[in-house]
Amino acid sequence: MRASDCKDIVRLHGECDLYSAAGFLSEARVLMDKGVRTMLVDCSDLIYLDSTGVGAIVRILQQMKSLGGSVFFRSIKGPPRKVLELCNVIMLLREVPED
Amino acid sequence: MRAAIIRKLIVDEHNELFDAQGMRYAEFPSDYSRVRDYARLLLVECPHAFREDGLLGQQLSEIIKNGIKHGNRKDPKKRLKIWYDLRKRARFIVGDEGDGFQELEKWNEFFMHRQLALQREDFDTFLGMASWRGTNSDAADGGNSLFAALEYWNGGMIYNERKNKAGVVRWFSRGSQYA
Repeated sequence: MRASDCKDIVRLHGECDLYSAAGFLSEARVLMDKGVRTMLVDCSDLIYLDSTGVGAIVRILQQMKSLGGSVFFRSIKGPPRKVLELCNVIMLLREVPED
Repeated sequence: MRAAIIRKLIVDEHNELFDAQGMRYAEFPSDYSRVRDYARLLLVECPHAFREDGLLGQQLSEIIKNGIKHGNRKDPKKRLKIWYDLRKRARFIVGDEGDGFQELEKWNEFFMHRQLALQREDFDTFLGMASWRGTNSDAADGGNSLFAALEYWNGGMIYNERKNKAGVVRWFSRGSQYA
């Protein structure tokens, strides 16, 4: 799986925190409701992630699993990666290389 | 099989982490829209090396958020009280006026099972336990802030008996040069 193989992409920009994570979750759910079963979350421009953002990622993973689909992640780096490592959620993420 | 070392939230009213002598003090209203502002204010004079690209601010914001949301239930009449000390290490005592984290032992039990699932690489179970859902959790809660906090606050995370005040500390390499 490469990032270019996935047409349905959710891009996280800037900060995904207690004030904005609901928008990310909603965007992903719209795609799943439309029947998307392979989704890429692009974190190239993500600079801040908190527990609410991590919770949104977990919900997307849980929902996609129940639908029999897959979620891939690209370019998780810096502090957001550290936050995902601290709570061990990084272990659940399927990461794809940059194209 | 490797033995698992699993941390716990600890209750210890008289722990040294609650000794506020020499610490600075700030008090904030329970304004949920300003959680991250409050963290920024407390860290204005924080050494750059302690910030770790914003990780300290993020973890402090989580404690403030928990106090305002779960402790004070966003009641504007209730205050969040914070003692802080950024000499040699990052140390905070954060107290709210709520009823306390009464599900602390249940959370410890949940965390133990979560970490054991991770240890045996049972990722299906781990995904199901990736977020904590307590009695007072709502749909907006991430449910994972305390998992990260136990790792991040490497000098300890202690609760008082009422469980509405937490003392935390993080030590840094060569932190003593920032006395």
